[in-house]
Amino acid sequence: MINHYIALMKREFWEHRSIWVTPVAIASVVTLGTLTALTFAGEFAQELDLAIFGAQNIAGDTERKGVLTAYFVGSSWLFLLGLGILTVFYSLDSLYAERKDKSILFWRSLPVTDAETVISKLLTATLLIPAIAIVAIIGTHIVNLIVTSIWVSMKGGSATTLIWGSVPLLDNWLATIVIIYSVAIWMSPFLGWFLFVSAYTKRAPLLMAFLPLVLIPLVEGIFFRSGNFAEAVWGRSAKIPLFAGIDMERFFDENHARVSEEMVSLLAHLDVGKFVTHIDTWLGLIVCALLTTAAIYVRRYRDES
Amino acid sequence: MTSLVNARGVSKHFGAVRAVDDVSFEIEQGKILGLIGPNGAGKTTLLKAVLGLTDCDGQLSVLGLDPFRQRKELLQNICFIADVAVLPRWIRVTQLLDFVEAVHPNFSRKRAESFLQQTKVRSDARVRELSKGMVTQLHLSIIMAIDAKLLVLDEPTLGLDIIFRKEFYSNLLNDYFDEQRTILITTHQVEEIENLLTDIMFINDGRILLDESMDSLADNYVELLTSGESALKAKGLGPIADNEIFGKSVLLFEGVSRENLEGLGELRTPSVADLFVAKVKGARQ
Repeated sequence: MINHYIALMKREFWEHRSIWVTPVAIASVVTLGTLTALTFAGEFAQELDLAIFGAQNIAGDTERKGVLTAYFVGSSWLFLLGLGILTVFYSLDSLYAERKDKSILFWRSLPVTDAETVISKLLTATLLIPAIAIVAIIGTHIVNLIVTSIWVSMKGGSATTLIWGSVPLLDNWLATIVIIYSVAIWMSPFLGWFLFVSAYTKRAPLLMAFLPLVLIPLVEGIFFRSGNFAEAVWGRSAKIPLFAGIDMERFFDENHARVSEEMVSLLAHLDVGKFVTHIDTWLGLIVCALLTTAAIYVRRYRDES
Repeated sequence: MTSLVNARGVSKHFGAVRAVDDVSFEIEQGKILGLIGPNGAGKTTLLKAVLGLTDCDGQLSVLGLDPFRQRKELLQNICFIADVAVLPRWIRVTQLLDFVEAVHPNFSRKRAESFLQQTKVRSDARVRELSKGMVTQLHLSIIMAIDAKLLVLDEPTLGLDIIFRKEFYSNLLNDYFDEQRTILITTHQVEEIENLLTDIMFINDGRILLDESMDSLADNYVELLTSGESALKAKGLGPIADNEIFGKSVLLFEGVSRENLEGLGELRTPSVADLFVAKVKGARQ
């Protein structure tokens, strides 16, 4: 059973090269960006030099942690954005491509159920793609920290103190893992919808997936003068009940001499309990399960000849 | 004899169209059955029902299983190559073997690799880099490495040249078939497979027109090449087909003993193709 899922997910990895090409491309861009920034800083802004990494005008350890965390978060968001786009295209293609290239009957000639196949695609989108992205994020962070350490050392700074001693690595990475998987769970109704469209549509899955998401709010707005559907669909991504919120006033309060340890901890800003117990998280999972079941049903019952 | 496939009153409708219409038959272990029918006769629909790829009405049991509801269990002991079941073009040969090895309990990778060594298929090649003939060789190598009780072939050699076609059937007979295995095959190129078959079934408009063993064909059907007075006399015996070739009558009889026809002309066992045409034309009249 588990062997089947591993084999099926390997198949996805082989078939959809974008699963690993996208994170590698983003990692390359981030690293190139860091190199360019360091070169730029080195040539034109001597006075900034080590300041960027907290040597002089950023007072203490926590402030340096704050700066490095901001850098980490910035690069992780790039991955999250790329991951989102990749997942949309992957899930829309996953059950459509095998019908388009007519290999579906070959896949169905093997002792694998339609449910196993469709669920493996859901697992690829919710587990495998995020896992590869997390590895890429951690790898990019390490490479970039090494590059920065070399730069700091060349400027006469101590990389051990300024960089490695100041980076809240575990906090950042754990928070990244929590955020990525929470976003995958929160957005899972969309995944279910994309899988269903991918299994159902005869052409243009991207158009078929987004057309109803645009037309239904329009129809609702015109005939019912309401925006419930648009709010539920297009407003969902902004409503994830995971972030506890940052006290901006306190953060920028000049009277606060020091930034507290808690304020630079990414994990401290996450409210996992609220996310797990929120009704909308569970409603989303139910919608995802229903739409995935519909995708399984379509793959099983539709005559492909 | 063990019955591998048992169909009783099997039907499949697509709206008003009856693709398979109240069909009953059995396939016993160790047989090579040819399912012959014109385009749109219902062959592929019937095969799909046997493979559990489509639901149907009536009673259908394959290896004692309900094919549609127990497809996963069924496909551990049943294999198929269909003209439409194309291999994915993006996959590498090694990846294909890895995948089948992981999901199929009865697959022997060693066997598949030894079959592939006899071909020009490179293990690191992608399917899209192979010719159609080589793709079929690859598919056949995988299928032959699966220890299955029933092999279903739906137009397996369509689009292949004569050398690949001959090789395909020769491999199938020499390296795969034995008394424990059963093959169900459909093809348009009847002449190429009629010597392989142990049994034959004709299907037209969703109905079975003939279901016989090849041995009994010679007993039940006879073709008479005759002319003149003898032809007139023979036509009185009720042939199911009557053709004129080079001024001679070629008459096909069903259930008429050879003794009754002897002396009226040259007797021979009809080819499957001629018998098929006679049966289909007869059914349409």
